[in-house]
Amino acid sequence: MQTEPNPGLFKRNAPIAGEADAIERAKKGDPDAFARLYALHKRRVYTLCLRMLGNVSEAEDMTQEAFLHLFRKLDSFRGESAFSTWLHRLTVNLVLMHLRKKGLQLVSLEETINPSEEDAPKRDFGSRDTLLSGSVDRVTLERAVAMLPPGYRMVFVLHDVEGFEHNEIATMLECSTGNSKSQLHKARLRLRELLRDPQNLQPENRLMEASR
Amino acid sequence: MKDLASINLDKMTTAEFEEYLPELFEASGGSISADPRFANFFREHANCAALVRDLETIAEQAKSLFEPMGDPSDAVWSNIASKLKDQNASNDEER
Repeated sequence: MQTEPNPGLFKRNAPIAGEADAIERAKKGDPDAFARLYALHKRRVYTLCLRMLGNVSEAEDMTQEAFLHLFRKLDSFRGESAFSTWLHRLTVNLVLMHLRKKGLQLVSLEETINPSEEDAPKRDFGSRDTLLSGSVDRVTLERAVAMLPPGYRMVFVLHDVEGFEHNEIATMLECSTGNSKSQLHKARLRLRELLRDPQNLQPENRLMEASR
Repeated sequence: MKDLASINLDKMTTAEFEEYLPELFEASGGSISADPRFANFFREHANCAALVRDLETIAEQAKSLFEPMGDPSDAVWSNIASKLKDQNASNDEER
């Protein structure tokens, strides 16, 4: 079956030159074509794993798992979404399964993605004199995202970075869409707190945040 | 969830605004500060306007994080290739 993605169904994940051909050939068992798919997508899959897990070793393990899983499931790709969207969804589901196996299986993710009160953003609108506009660059934001509690970070990465809709995130995280929206909002508020005071992003504070 | 259509945007309190904000963001496609329906409210509540602009900045800047940070080590592909080779050999044996 020909896998031509529907351009109306994806936003930032535009098709890559040579990708459709590589998918078709890989489906027929061509190892070079699968290597091509790996070369095309390894960086984004790895980055996604790294942002969700915050750990290079685990991110590499999950990248490996994602591509092995892709090899087994490639036949089921029908081109209803962009290949990269489909691959990222597959990756997210594997990472979530991995996290549940690590210890989140006893309570629902809906509960566990709510951080403690201590981690929750403060209900402080702050001063209008300290607007972030112009002061937030990619590196600074990356540091701040790494300091978010895991549940906030997950929803923020999936929605604001990866571009998934709340209903998709709710399905993946097994929570309600309202919960996804609320977690995203709290994540952005927490990021605002972190970004408004550069002291928060100093290495010693990052270690303290990460250990929470 | 509050029906946003029933909210008087000019007369809502800061607390109400805070309560509705996640939904307002979603309904506005992430661009509340440019929405003229909120102009009066933001004129009266400068801190709310600042909050919204900051959150919009964060959401906008987050898109830049979509670009990848780096490559996985070469060992990742070596492991994948090795496992696929083993799997193919095992499939051949079964045939």
